[in-house]
Amino acid sequence: MRGKILNIEPLSLLTGALAALVGWSLLAGSLPRPWPAALALALGLALALGGHSHGSAVQIDRLAHASRWADMNAALKTLGCCGLLVLTLCCRTPWPPLGVFVYTAALCMAGGAGVRRYLGLMALPAAFVLLSAAALLWRWAPAPGGLADLPLAGGWLVLDAASQALARLVLARALGALGCLYLLSLSTPLPELLAVLRQAHAPALLLDLAVLIYRYIFLMLDTAARMRVAAASRLGYEGAGRSLRTTGLVYANLLGRSFARARACQQAMESRGWEGQIRFLTRRHPVRAGHIALFAAPAAALLAALALGG
Amino acid sequence: MQELLRFEDVSYAYEPGRDALRGLTLSVAAGERVAVLGSNGAGKSTFFLLAGGVLTPAAGQIVFEGEPVRRPTDLSRLRRGVGLVFQDPDVQLLAGTVEEEVSFGPMNLRLPESEVARRVADALTAFELTEYRRRAPQYLSGGEKKRVTLADVLAMQPRLLLLDEPAASLDPAHARQLEGHLARLHRQGLALVVATHDVDFAWRWAGRVLLFQGGRLAADGAPETIFADRALLAGCGLEQPVLFRAGRALGLDPLPRTVEQLEQAVGKERNTP
Ligand SMILES: Nc1ncnc2c1ncn2[C@@H]1O[C@H](COP(=O)(O)OP(=O)(O)OP(=O)(O)O)[C@@H](O)[C@H]1O
Ligand SMILES: [Mg+2]
Repeated sequence: MRGKILNIEPLSLLTGALAALVGWSLLAGSLPRPWPAALALALGLALALGGHSHGSAVQIDRLAHASRWADMNAALKTLGCCGLLVLTLCCRTPWPPLGVFVYTAALCMAGGAGVRRYLGLMALPAAFVLLSAAALLWRWAPAPGGLADLPLAGGWLVLDAASQALARLVLARALGALGCLYLLSLSTPLPELLAVLRQAHAPALLLDLAVLIYRYIFLMLDTAARMRVAAASRLGYEGAGRSLRTTGLVYANLLGRSFARARACQQAMESRGWEGQIRFLTRRHPVRAGHIALFAAPAAALLAALALGG
Repeated sequence: MQELLRFEDVSYAYEPGRDALRGLTLSVAAGERVAVLGSNGAGKSTFFLLAGGVLTPAAGQIVFEGEPVRRPTDLSRLRRGVGLVFQDPDVQLLAGTVEEEVSFGPMNLRLPESEVARRVADALTAFELTEYRRRAPQYLSGGEKKRVTLADVLAMQPRLLLLDEPAASLDPAHARQLEGHLARLHRQGLALVVATHDVDFAWRWAGRVLLFQGGRLAADGAPETIFADRALLAGCGLEQPVLFRAGRALGLDPLPRTVEQLEQAVGKERNTP
């Protein structure tokens, strides 16, 4: 039996370990001795315990609907987040993007996403970002001579100051960009986002497809969950071998089942007069000055930082 | 009563050679309350899909409001006039919020936005969903979802409403609430056709019973006649309704449709001697 508190999944553990390694590599040499290791460990633990979340599509959707910012004009949010994103990517030092990350994360928290859930949702992209950072930080060389060296396969893995600086910048930008995207997706239900795109005259076919995909994500997850429960109740997951077999069966049948459901869904839409275009009456949220300020202030700060050589 | 929908010798097969529905002939008039009974696979849902204009007959024809349904434009006329509530709400729910969900049908009718907004508001009020209007339908409970699907279809203001096993996932309290909604819709003059496995509900509620068996219409008539035929019921795996049997056993006439009627009838007899 695994305890409730120590319910760590393999992926989160991996992300945590990776975060600790990358964290230490980023800080080594710039802080007095015990600090890089301590901070790296703390970061790793936070990500490992934050846990990667199952069915994150469902979670993102739930949070978006419940968010305090769900009432904010969706076009403003889209424009604001994209604007911040572009400015973040223009930065040439790591501090402004990190600031953007902290700011957007704080907004998400203020909107009602809990710290744990936010970290949990971060874990998946974090694994990719951290892997790339590790690849940037460490390079193989025939001789040692960096800030840190590890012997490997007749040569050395070397960490030097130049790649450290580069990795810091890349990681900071990635974090800042992720922060912007998360702010948008954790505060804007997808249908509203689609309405914005429709206003912006995105191709109708693309948007209808997006609506259907959005819908089928839930159908598929739901079908998969039901099949998993049904299989588990018939002891399909007792033992590793049988577990693997059952998982295979579930996924093999998922497609057929989902097709059957998809056809039923289409019939339901046809019976309600659907003739090829999906249209809803969407609620309009007025643009408010306070909301504009939420994006204008950090954008101004970023512009100032950029002008000062950031 | 004015006829709304007529099936003339309609057949349908999902796979060639295996008819899901064979030679169906019947008609539904305005304001009727019809219960559709039959075992699993008898063809009830197939009948509904044909009546709702989702499937088209392989043979025979469907006549809606006096005009046969032949071309695609007729089909869309049928879909507008006939509301179909699916058995599984998850199949029907589509939008991100309840109010958007309910607006889908009226938007497809190409009504002006103000009219759509009015109809959505009316439908939400009628099914006590106003406070749920910003919620995501996929996260509601079974009973709430059922109400949303009803609001969905009624916002299109159909003349005939088809409900496929509406009480299937409802607890007793919500099932009663659903019957309340059905009673209200009946008072508003809507024709209601309900597929069900619950003979007690059919006895309590319906003015007419259609009995399906193996893709055929085995019987069509008043509940009193159909539920009196035990052999017929047994052939479809059904039993007589409890109140029907109790009324028979007590020799009551008319037979009680509700427990209250039974109590009244029995009380009167006790008091008369
Ligand atoms: N999509 C489909 N593809 C192939 N065959 C189908 C399909 N849907 C139904 N059938 C078949 O058509 C016949 C009638 O099915 P239908 O769903 O109309 O029955 P039903 O009376 O609604 O049953 P239930 O009480 O289980 O809902 C059944 O034999 C069924 O197997
Ligand atoms: Mg059925």
